[in-house]
Amino acid sequence: MAENNALRVIARLRQIGPALVFGVSFLALWEAAVRGFDLKPYFLAAPSKIFEQFFKNYSRIWDASMVSGGNALVGLIVGTVFGVAMSFILSRYRFLGELITPLAIALNAIPIFVLVAVLNNMYSITSEIPRRVMVTLVVYFIVLVNVAKGLTQVRSTHVELMRSYAASEFVILRKVRVPNAVPYLFTALKVAAPASVITAFVSEYFGGLQNGLGSRITSNIANAKNAAAWAYVLGACLLGLAFYTVSIILESATRKGDTK
Amino acid sequence: MSALEVAGASKIFNQGTTKQVDALIDVNLTVNPGEFVSLIGPSGCGKSTLLRLIANLLEPTSGSVSVNNKTAAQARLDQDYGMAFQQAGLFDWRTVSKNIELPLELKGWDKAKREARAKEMLELVKLPEFADLYPWQLSGGMQQRIAIARALAAHPPLLLMDEPFGALDEMTREYMQGELLRICGETSTTVVFVTHSIPEAVYLSNRVVVMSPRPGRITEVIDVDLGSKRNEDTRAADGFFKSITAVREALRGTHADHAAANAIRGVEDR
Repeated sequence: MAENNALRVIARLRQIGPALVFGVSFLALWEAAVRGFDLKPYFLAAPSKIFEQFFKNYSRIWDASMVSGGNALVGLIVGTVFGVAMSFILSRYRFLGELITPLAIALNAIPIFVLVAVLNNMYSITSEIPRRVMVTLVVYFIVLVNVAKGLTQVRSTHVELMRSYAASEFVILRKVRVPNAVPYLFTALKVAAPASVITAFVSEYFGGLQNGLGSRITSNIANAKNAAAWAYVLGACLLGLAFYTVSIILESATRKGDTK
Repeated sequence: MSALEVAGASKIFNQGTTKQVDALIDVNLTVNPGEFVSLIGPSGCGKSTLLRLIANLLEPTSGSVSVNNKTAAQARLDQDYGMAFQQAGLFDWRTVSKNIELPLELKGWDKAKREARAKEMLELVKLPEFADLYPWQLSGGMQQRIAIARALAAHPPLLLMDEPFGALDEMTREYMQGELLRICGETSTTVVFVTHSIPEAVYLSNRVVVMSPRPGRITEVIDVDLGSKRNEDTRAADGFFKSITAVREALRGTHADHAAANAIRGVEDR
């Protein structure tokens, strides 16, 4: 038993070992470069300083992460719900797809800044709504495109088989199209989860409340507190990672059996 | 009483347009209960279309199809036939057992009854230990056996098969042919079987229906007299080769418009 466990630990180390070595040496190289070439903090802050700032400002970074993360989460949930609902409607009424697709592409082509500025104008300066709407829009299209594909691109053999069982369109939807679309939904979430954090974060650069990670980074840079700004960047990375990890855990929890 | 009757059936796609295709013209076919009938012919001869008319997945442009002395539509609603395709068409998100249970689920059977039947079918196709695995964990031949188990799960009197062994290697294919004959013998199921392979058609069938393209029609029906008990020795029997030659010659006739009649040899492998 103990031997077995030891073997498992070794196998795990082999798996994550290379990544660990790479990460540590990268940070070491960074630290060495900053000290060796005497790089000024406004040019590049040393990892040690960044970590120092990170732990010193831990509670503030946490609060800011909760604001940006909260916006991302609300947008992610609302966008997913609307995206899934719309993909059902589009897969049922194909002609709607032809009407809506160009609109979707056009909306997606608008640079995100333009929309945030417009949305900021629509709501009061203390509102989180513009950012959430922005995240919702980004997530909505990612989910819509993928889930609609999952609902419509089912194998023709499966459809013929179901028709040979005299199954109604609704039964085919329930037994074939929906299960077929589930992996597509999680693929979409894997893309949408980090994108929602990035969107929530970037949206903060265009005015409105100054309480999120994005705003903190700008204000710290403006005050020449570069290491602190980097500490918030680290917070943003961790937040994005957290979202991504959750989406992967959700995916593997719903996956049947093992990977193909 | 016939298991299946096709009377003067025609199927014309895109009728009246420039893209009109006469897929089937005036097809007549009667299949008796317990009989094994193969449909063979070059690509585009309408054999798959004929199978889909029988399955009521397509409506004939004219003529009629009756299955089990009902209209094809009613037979479909009553699930009087099971169907298997070239792709096993199992659902990746269902276990092997749940795949077999699907037609029973749609018939509204309760869980205990479904599970018992799935178990019985797995015994029949000799894969009882695979009930809780997922389809992609099985080899192609095993998947196809599960597909056959699913097609027969509701004990339909008729089994319709569209090149079910077309994607398998030769060894697996011959094994599957033996298994199919055993299973259909045990369950006394009538089979209509579409194939490209002459030896396959001869080995399996009581009758081989030879079809020709443009427009799709039946040109010849060849009786195969190899008895009801067939095994690996059958493949070496004189009668087997005689029937293969007869089918080959009938098929050659369908290729009269081809410059090289020898090209028919290429028909065996897709």
